[in-house]
Order: sequence, then C-alpha cells, then structure tokens
Amino acid sequence: MIAQNDRKLNINIILIVAALIIFILLPNYISGYYTRIFTAIFMYATIAQCINLMSGYMGYLPFGHVMFFGIGAYISAILMKTGLPVFVAIPAACFCAIVISIILGFPVLRLRGHYFAIATIGMNGAIMTVVQNATEITGGARGTTFPIITVPPAVVYKYFYLAMFGLMVITSLVMNMIVNSKFGFGIRSIKANEDAANSMGINTTFTKVSTWAIAAMFTSIAGGLYGYWMSFIAPDEVFDLMFITNSIIMMLIGGAGTILGPIFGAFIVETVSEVAWSGFMQYHLAALGIATIIIVFFIPRGLIGTITDKMRNRRIKLSKKTEVTNV
Amino acid sequence: MGLGLQMFVNALLLGGLYALMGIGFSLQWGISGIINLSYGAMVLLGSYLSLIIFNMFHIDPFISMFVTGAILFLLGAFIYRFTLQPLLKGGIVFTLIVTFAIRLIIENIILLVWSADYRTIRVSYAGSNFQFLGAFVPLTKFLTFIIAGVIIYLTYQFMMNTKIGKGIQAVALDKEGAMAVGVDDQKMYLINFALGTALGGVTGTLWATIYSFSPHVMDVIIGRVFIIAILGGLGNIWGAAAGGLLLAFVETSGAIFIGSHWQEAIGLVIMVLVLLLRPHGLIGKKFFG
Repeated sequence: MIAQNDRKLNINIILIVAALIIFILLPNYISGYYTRIFTAIFMYATIAQCINLMSGYMGYLPFGHVMFFGIGAYISAILMKTGLPVFVAIPAACFCAIVISIILGFPVLRLRGHYFAIATIGMNGAIMTVVQNATEITGGARGTTFPIITVPPAVVYKYFYLAMFGLMVITSLVMNMIVNSKFGFGIRSIKANEDAANSMGINTTFTKVSTWAIAAMFTSIAGGLYGYWMSFIAPDEVFDLMFITNSIIMMLIGGAGTILGPIFGAFIVETVSEVAWSGFMQYHLAALGIATIIIVFFIPRGLIGTITDKMRNRRIKLSKKTEVTNV
Repeated sequence: MGLGLQMFVNALLLGGLYALMGIGFSLQWGISGIINLSYGAMVLLGSYLSLIIFNMFHIDPFISMFVTGAILFLLGAFIYRFTLQPLLKGGIVFTLIVTFAIRLIIENIILLVWSADYRTIRVSYAGSNFQFLGAFVPLTKFLTFIIAGVIIYLTYQFMMNTKIGKGIQAVALDKEGAMAVGVDDQKMYLINFALGTALGGVTGTLWATIYSFSPHVMDVIIGRVFIIAILGGLGNIWGAAAGGLLLAFVETSGAIFIGSHWQEAIGLVIMVLVLLLRPHGLIGKKFFG
C-alpha cells in the first residue's frame, strides 16, 4: 500500500514538473496573441485561487475582493512614478494591501454570509471613490500610467508571461501547503461550523483575518503585475467587480475547495470567452451568462470536484469487492 | 431658507423613487433569501418596456406601468421557478452567480435591441412645474412621488391583510412552522420574488419619466438598492421606505456640502457602518431572516 502511494506521488511530481517545463518554454513557440491570453489565464487563476481559499475552504465569499487588486495596481503605479524599480514597488504595494486587509478584516469578518459579501462590495466602492477623487496622487478618474518599458514588446510579453506563471505556481503551492497544514484544518473547520470551531479552541478571528491577508497578498501582487503589463490603469477598470465574478465562475467550474480546480476553471472560462468574443461578438455577454447557468446546473461540484467524487466512489466500490473476495 | 427648502423638496421627491426601488430588492433579499444582482437590469427592463409602449402606442408611462409591472411579475416568477428555486440549497455563491448571469443576458438583450445610447421618455407635460412655498416642484417628479407612496402603501396592505401576504410573512418568520400549518413555502417565495421584480419594473417606468437611462444605469441602481435595503433592514417595507428617504437626503445634502463626486462614497460608508453596528437596519428589530 505504501509503495503504491509512493508511486502515485512520483507520477504526480513528474506530471507537475513536465507541465512546468512545457509552460516555461511555451512562449518561444506561440505568437504574441496567445502569450497574452495565457498571461491573462494565469492572472485569473491566481485571483480564483485566492477566492477559493476564502470561499471554497473558509466559506466567506469576498465579493469585493477586487479592491486589493486595485490597491496593488495603484500603489505600485504611484511608487514606480517616483522612480522606484518594480522589484521594490510591487512588494511595497503587497505590504500595503496586507496592512489594509488586516485593518478592514477585524471589523468586517465578524459579519457572516450575505452580510460579509455585501460589506466587501461596499468597501470596494468606497475605496474606488477615494481613488477617483484623490486626483493629485492617483490621477483621478482619468487613470494613471506606469513608466514606459524600453525593451521591445515581444520580449516584454514573454517576461510578463513568465512572471504571471511564476505567481500562479507559487500561489498554488502556498495554497496547497496552507490547506494541508494545521492552520488549514482551522480554515476548513470554520466553513463546517464556526461556533463549534471556536469552542474547540481554534482562534477563529486570527484564522479568518490571516486567511484574508494571505488572499489579499497574492491578489495585490497580481494587480501590480497587471498594471505594469497594461501600463495604463483607471479606477473603474481595476476596481471592476467583473474580475471577481469571473474568478468565482472559474472557481465553480473547476471545483470549489480543490487546488487544481481554479487553474482548470481559468483555462476553460478564458478559452470559452475568447471564442465567444471572436465568434459572436454581439452575443458574448449572453453566451457567458447562459454558459454559467448551464454549468451551475449540471456540474455544481465543478470539474475537479466531480472527478474526485467519481474516483472516490470507484475506490470504495473496489475496496468492498476485495473485502467480499477475502471472506 | 430658499435653498434649504428646495433641497428638502428635491430630496423628498427623489426619496419616493428610492424607497419604491429599495422595497422590491429588500423583499427579495430578506424573504426569498436571494441577493438579486439582476435587479438593476430588471428595473431598466421596465424603463425600456415603457419606452416601447410609449413609442408604439403613445400610452403614457403612468398608465403603462401596470403593463410593465405585470410583464416583470411574470418574468420574475419564471426566473425564480426555473433558475433560482433548484439552486436555493447550494447557498449564496450559486444564487449570486446565477443572478449575475441573468443580468448579463438581459444587458445583452438591451444592448442588441436599444444600443448603449441614453434614452428618454418625453411626455407632453414634462416641462411643467408648480411652486410650493417658494420651492419649484416639477410635475412629473411630484406624480412619481405620489404614485410611489400609493404603491408602497398597497404593498404594505397586501403583506398585512391578504391571505397570500400573511403566508409570505409566516414563511419569513418560521419556515417549518408555516409549512406545518399548510403554507406552501415555495409558492410564497415565488410570489414574493415576482412581486419584488414587479416593483422594480414599476420603478423603472417611473424613473424613465424623469431621468434618461442607458444600460450603464444598471450599476448605479444596484449600488443604491444595496444601501437602501441595508439601511432599512432586510424584508422590512417601512424600513426600506425610510432607508430610501434617508439615502436621498444624505446624497442631496452631501452633494451640496461636500461635493457631488463624493456622493457614492458617503452612501457606501454609511452602509458599511450600519452593517457593522446595527445589522438589522436602522429602524426595527430582528424580525426577518
């Protein structure tokens, strides 16, 4: 049995390493258009991974989570305008996002269910209005620009591809580590029953706030990279709730509460919406809406969730069979 | 004095519309338990339907609101029965995403049929107004306010004095208890959801007589109704009405004293504060949901 598990682990590691090598070498062989699509997929997968940690594992749906995306983008833009290099600006923005998430987290994570989701939407709107009105610092509603990159665009796209890919991989690995740790059991127990978890000695407030801070950290890095990649950001663009609804749809399609789910979901949704954009431009919103409803109805547990369910059922069946033969 | 009175009248007239708009959303959220992200789209659908009726048959929006209300009642019932009811057990993620998907579909339909341009309904008496104690009162806004008040009162009477209304309240108070005495809970939720949609559609029709509208207004409406519903407490009719009036006063005075571009932030900050300090709404106690 142990040998079997070891072999399984080895196969998984080989598969993951192969996928890593393929994706690292991929931008050398595809055109700029596909490089951009893949970069967007990696960005969405990162955000979906954060939403998954909050919603899929902890049961708190942060609908206004895009505020950290916007904060990351804006703070990196402001810092880089003062002449700081990108390797200082994005970590600084990330640090600010963590601080903001902790300050906001203590009051707002006391709310549950619907109320939490709505309070985060309200905070997102309030932060967006502040950014729109602080014209001297942020450039106001007209948006702001990042310093121009002097390297030719083809090379730049490759850099951003690799950066986003690295971010997605690191996020997924960290999420995997968190979920399988003792802290992760705390997170899951909050979803199962928060009051019971509290009475069993789990510090729920600490767990919830630090989980939100982790989610905010990765989202803000994605925001900073997105801003530098686009080189122009506007408040109603980086604080747009569409980022979060898309990420939630990706999480649902891939399977909430699984690590691979958000990644697969991001691939599927981005591919479908690219096809919808190019195929029937005029109907792409309706196509996205109808596809969402169909998916929610027919695979509510998501792709990965459904597959693991099937495999587990099969294993249970097989183990029952062996028992019978042994008797 | 003149400015103060004019401000008060403006806020009151706007508040009537906000109150009516908030009640539909508040009922859907508080009683049926669905945060309806497609509410803004449904309100706009009411506006566009009355625009069609006005352009084709030259029927006044104040008359065609019965038709748009009926159409949206049926649409709401259809949406609830076939998309939301099967997913109620799935929890908040599913209903949020499905209502958002419905919003995308309606938005797409509106864009295809009417494009993204701003539209208005100009009735013949649109420019006329009268003076009240020195404050100007546009006739359409005044009519809107009166009609909104009447509809709110009728909704309240429906909830309190009819058999279906009492059934809806019973389901909201104690679902199992209501089912035990023979109330069909799903039917009550359906009627309640459809009623909320119909109120949204009527609001859209009334809105169309005063302001111009485009698909962009959807987000504005959703932002407002969230604040109104939270201020008043979910599922509470008079609470939502008070929340609507309060929001209108806050916005109008905020626009004058602080600046109109901070308008939205003020409302949202108040909403978050109410959520944190008084989650059952400013008035009223914990009664629903």
